[in-house]
Amino acid sequence: MERRAPMAEQLINGQVIEACQQGDRDAFQRLFEAYKDKVFSIAVYSSGGDRAVAEDVTQQVFLKLFTAIRQFRGDSEFTTWLYRLVVNACLDERRRRRRLLPFESTQTTVAMSSVSDKKPQERHYARLEVSEAVRGAINELKPKFRLPILLKYIEGLSYEEIAEVMGCSKGTVASRLNRGHSQLAKRLSHLNNPALWGE
Amino acid sequence: MFSKHVTKDISAYCHGELSSEESKRFAEHIISCVRCRSKFEEIKLGIRLAEQLPTLTAPDSMWQEIESALGRATQASQVVSMRSAHSWRKQAAIAAALLVVFGIGMLWFYKSRTDPRGPRGGPGSWLVTRLNGTPRIGDEHIASRGQLGIGEWLETDAHSRAQIAVGTIGNVDIDENTRVRLVETQPTEHRLELERGRMSARIWAPPRLFFVNTPSAVAEDLGCAYTLSVDDKGDGRLSVTSGWVALQANERESMVPEGASCETKLGTGPGTPYFDDSSLEFQRALKTIDFDKNPATRAEALESMLSQSRARDTLTLWHLLPRVNETERVRVFEKMQTLTPPPSSVTREGVLNLDEKMLDEWRSTLQASWGVGGSKGIPKSATEWKSLKSWSDLKLRDAEKK
Repeated sequence: MERRAPMAEQLINGQVIEACQQGDRDAFQRLFEAYKDKVFSIAVYSSGGDRAVAEDVTQQVFLKLFTAIRQFRGDSEFTTWLYRLVVNACLDERRRRRRLLPFESTQTTVAMSSVSDKKPQERHYARLEVSEAVRGAINELKPKFRLPILLKYIEGLSYEEIAEVMGCSKGTVASRLNRGHSQLAKRLSHLNNPALWGE
Repeated sequence: MFSKHVTKDISAYCHGELSSEESKRFAEHIISCVRCRSKFEEIKLGIRLAEQLPTLTAPDSMWQEIESALGRATQASQVVSMRSAHSWRKQAAIAAALLVVFGIGMLWFYKSRTDPRGPRGGPGSWLVTRLNGTPRIGDEHIASRGQLGIGEWLETDAHSRAQIAVGTIGNVDIDENTRVRLVETQPTEHRLELERGRMSARIWAPPRLFFVNTPSAVAEDLGCAYTLSVDDKGDGRLSVTSGWVALQANERESMVPEGASCETKLGTGPGTPYFDDSSLEFQRALKTIDFDKNPATRAEALESMLSQSRARDTLTLWHLLPRVNETERVRVFEKMQTLTPPPSSVTREGVLNLDEKMLDEWRSTLQASWGVGGSKGIPKSATEWKSLKSWSDLKLRDAEKK
């Protein structure tokens, strides 16, 4: 489902960015509040679930953003520029760390056989477990397949926007998303339970 | 490009990234290609899973840390003129806020002028076109076109009709005195709720993408065209004009082929499918069997229905076998035996004990008389039957045999 931008994000316009370029700290804070959760989410998923590393990456992104925002000329969408910073920061961090701790592998082995027998609130928790399993499986994807998925589902970017952020063609984005989806489905095929999806 | 397999375009199709012409060609190809359809199901699962990824919340303390880091970096320049900078910041913030308010106001004013329903719609909505009268979305009338958002109701009165474009996968005509709601629209599922009235759907997408909730059952599209109606009591009727539709509720499922219909009843779920050209007496008796719990009335209706049964009506009789009691099942079996004898591998005891394999084998011989798409290969096994996705599966199977 398409995600709508939160209200705070919708209110970030050219005026706010211009205020940031002039060094307005309040405008910085508005910008930060608008994008912090999405940037942090990508950082968490890219760092194998390590929230401390994700916090570092998020801070680096915003510090870099605030120090470099004067260079933003509006040639591209602000979000494209921002997410390019995010993607580069995540890839840099990954290169630095080389060896990442994966999510607990047990998270991907959700016993779904009994989901259909569960009560609604239990089903809710089962969905949360699925969400955890997906996070684990996302972590196992190669970055070139994982990042387009994060940009699509966390940020809600179009293929064209993802292509611009990743510096590749729309066709490449489509192909990588296809392979990412396919790998997710294969890794989590045990979650293909109609009861889980309310069918 | 579409004469070849379309697996590389599956995600783009699901995300609405193909043009309408490309989408149509994609759907046409995938309906007739087992390989691409199998991959489509896999990618669809991958998309559903990816949609479960939550956005996480950054720690509240993060801004303070960033602000102090920024403060350290800019400390030197800030010494110059704190007072004037503060004043400037304040003025800039006020100006920015005023401009934001002005911009939002202008946007609202513009949308109000161009969209009679005001600033709504967006990616999670469907285009609605007025066909007659003055249909309404919520409390607002549609002049010529409108957007039906998730959760919104489209309602027609005795003099109005409308057409809904279901993304790029088909359209739905909404007849008079009908009330429908858009429940969900996403790459892997489009779902309407029909509270009352009548709608006709034509879907050219791969199967199991379009669903309609009614008070008494859920209609699941398997690549088809059909009419669905719901009365004021919440009971419904499905009539299929092309392909197949599955009606489901209360753990009952009826597979309804083209030329056939199926009643649904609130609290009970779908009844048994029957061909529209069966006699009215047959249809009346079937309704009693499906929804009347009085044993005497049912027994009488069963005899009446069996006396009216033709070879083609074994569609109904075959579906009835697991739904009737043991005594009734004997009578149904005996009638079917006279209309189309079972193959030698199928025994009376096996059928009466609802042996799945034998039921499947018998159905294979019955299908020729159903006249659904001629003698094209309807699924042969229970597994195949249960996994039947669309009439196109059958057409393809037939084509592959040739």
